[in-house]
Amino acid sequence: MPELTYREAVRDALSTAMRQDDDVFIMGEDIAEMGGSMGVTAGMLDEFGKERVRNTPISEMALAGAAIGAAMQGMRPVAEIMYEDFMTLAAEQVVNQAAKLRYMSGGQLTVPVVFRTQGGAGWSPGAQHAQQLEAWFVHIPGLKVVFASTPEDVRGLLWSAIYDDNPVVFFEHRTLYPLKGDVPQEIEPIPIGRARIHREGEDVTVIATGRLVHETLKAAEEAERDGISVEVVDPRTLQPLDEETLVASVKKTNRAVVAHEAVTRMGFGAEVAAVLQYQAFDWLDAPIERVGAKFAPLPFAPVMEAFVVPHAEDVLAAIKRTVGKG
Amino acid sequence: MATEVILPRLGQGMESGTIVRWLKAEGEPVEKGEPLFELDTDKVTQEVEAEAAGVLLKIAVPEGEVPVGQTVAFIGQQGEDVPEVAAAASHEEPKTAAPEPEPAAAPPAETAVVSGNGRIKASPLARRMARERGIELSDIRGTGPDGRIVAEDVERAEVGAPAPTTAPVPRGEVERVPLTSIRKTIARRLTEAWQIPVFQLQTSADMTRVNALVARLRERDPDVRVTVTDVLTKVSAQALLRHREVNAEFTDEAILLHPSANVGLAVAAPQGLVVPVIRSAERLSLTEIAAVRSDLVGRARESKLRAEDIEGGTFTISNLGMYAVERFTAVLNPPQAAIVAVGATEERVVPLDGGIAVRPIVTLTGTFDHRAVDGAPAAAFLQTLKESLEDPGLAL
Repeated sequence: MPELTYREAVRDALSTAMRQDDDVFIMGEDIAEMGGSMGVTAGMLDEFGKERVRNTPISEMALAGAAIGAAMQGMRPVAEIMYEDFMTLAAEQVVNQAAKLRYMSGGQLTVPVVFRTQGGAGWSPGAQHAQQLEAWFVHIPGLKVVFASTPEDVRGLLWSAIYDDNPVVFFEHRTLYPLKGDVPQEIEPIPIGRARIHREGEDVTVIATGRLVHETLKAAEEAERDGISVEVVDPRTLQPLDEETLVASVKKTNRAVVAHEAVTRMGFGAEVAAVLQYQAFDWLDAPIERVGAKFAPLPFAPVMEAFVVPHAEDVLAAIKRTVGKG
Repeated sequence: MATEVILPRLGQGMESGTIVRWLKAEGEPVEKGEPLFELDTDKVTQEVEAEAAGVLLKIAVPEGEVPVGQTVAFIGQQGEDVPEVAAAASHEEPKTAAPEPEPAAAPPAETAVVSGNGRIKASPLARRMARERGIELSDIRGTGPDGRIVAEDVERAEVGAPAPTTAPVPRGEVERVPLTSIRKTIARRLTEAWQIPVFQLQTSADMTRVNALVARLRERDPDVRVTVTDVLTKVSAQALLRHREVNAEFTDEAILLHPSANVGLAVAAPQGLVVPVIRSAERLSLTEIAAVRSDLVGRARESKLRAEDIEGGTFTISNLGMYAVERFTAVLNPPQAAIVAVGATEERVVPLDGGIAVRPIVTLTGTFDHRAVDGAPAAAFLQTLKESLEDPGLAL
């Protein structure tokens, strides 16, 4: 099995799709010669040329709109929004146009566009370049939302996103780009809407996304030393949500923690907690714990940033609270 | 001028009530319609609302039994004078005996931690396990955060092993539980009921179709959780109208046959047994019955039933199926002429088409007032009930 970094895995999915399919192309700010601000598309200009690796002006709304237009005309564009903080600028096109057009045209139009974007703290980018805004888009009917945490998942899910006939907002985490992992020789599409159980356990289920999947796996090892067996589940797709897998896991362990880097208030974990309490009410033996960032803009100072966002020890503390050992 | 707060008559036959506690303190502002005090009558415990706005100037009767119509408080403007009458006129018996000495300190929690509103702290899983195993939560000591009962505690309670921490020390004294008005009423009415010549009839019914019907209704309308009790209510109402001699009341001059089936459900409320009534159940759909039942039972458990909720029943269902009781006989609920006691629906081996099968079976035991109804019509009623449960379509 080949080993790829998360960054290479994204590039591999894009390049493979573009090699086999003329309808697929990428566009975004500085993605051509510069290879994107995170280096994801480095080298792709040489292989595919500037018609298919398109630099755009610095207007997220314009580039999102252009991608939506191309998608309506039958292309499968992948637009890169440099930071998910800038999704706020593209929001009109993503929320009011991409998400609505298939519905409002009675199915006459489809919008097979992917908005790739990245964010996340851990490298001191400050309050305007590190937010985790996935919950904003999970709230919009008509959008699919993906947040992959491993090289294998990011490649297989990006592939499915490109070939999905609906708009997909595809979140990548900045600090995961150098993460290495085994991937299948050939790209194996991962169906949108299916969770992944990273680790099986008996005592508590932690449902984590993005960077927190890895923090949770560390916490689970720590907990194991205290005799607590932790099941770690990554939904991978936030919309649609694999409720069945999450609920089945919690019915087995009777306790749940939800963990993400975004602030807990109105975060994705709030929705997961609501789903679990409703569908697994009679199986819960402890209140559902939520782990997320403190409700504050992200500080620039590294020590303060580390204080605001959650880490393995926060997940571990929540795990222990659910089993009454906090 | 200050408005007098009068002890209201909450239902027919009510002559007095016991003030349990005031929900407002003297000097506190009161809105019209705001709950003012809790009143315990022989039928319900109910919050009494203020009929005037202003300031609660004086509480004339802080607690205790008061005849209907007596002034118990005054509402008026801040600083207003209050007539002297009230306090002296209290009907309460003079408290000659010294009050029971308070225990020096609250005894350590030996069983469940109960919050201020009487609710026991337990996880949903622990609640379900206790329910399924017929264990009372109040008998379990919680070891979770803040004394919450968790699944492990229920497991331990079932095995009967002591909790891992210090075992409860048995206390030597007999505990005195003073009789509430409701408890007194239960005792008086059941003693009266015992004088009535009754007979019991029993039958069993295959609940396969009822279970399927309930499952389908829940699937179709998950917001209204239809239960087996709702189906029982519905088919009982239909059977009562087909056998009106059972939907009856015996009086010295005549037997009254009621035109409609008002089905009472025996509910274990915190302060004791209450029987809220689902009116004209024959005219309600199952989902309507479920909605009414859910409201009544919910309010019964919160002691928020009103007098009209428990009046006018013509028949009662008492269901102990959730406690793994196979069958039992219920005491009549006069003046009604019949009550049916419902046991647990259990998998039983039954003969079927010349072979045997395992089916969910429930046993129903009817208790009938023999002065009002004879054995044959009562048996016919029970037969209709059985047939309607085995084939709910027949109740239509």
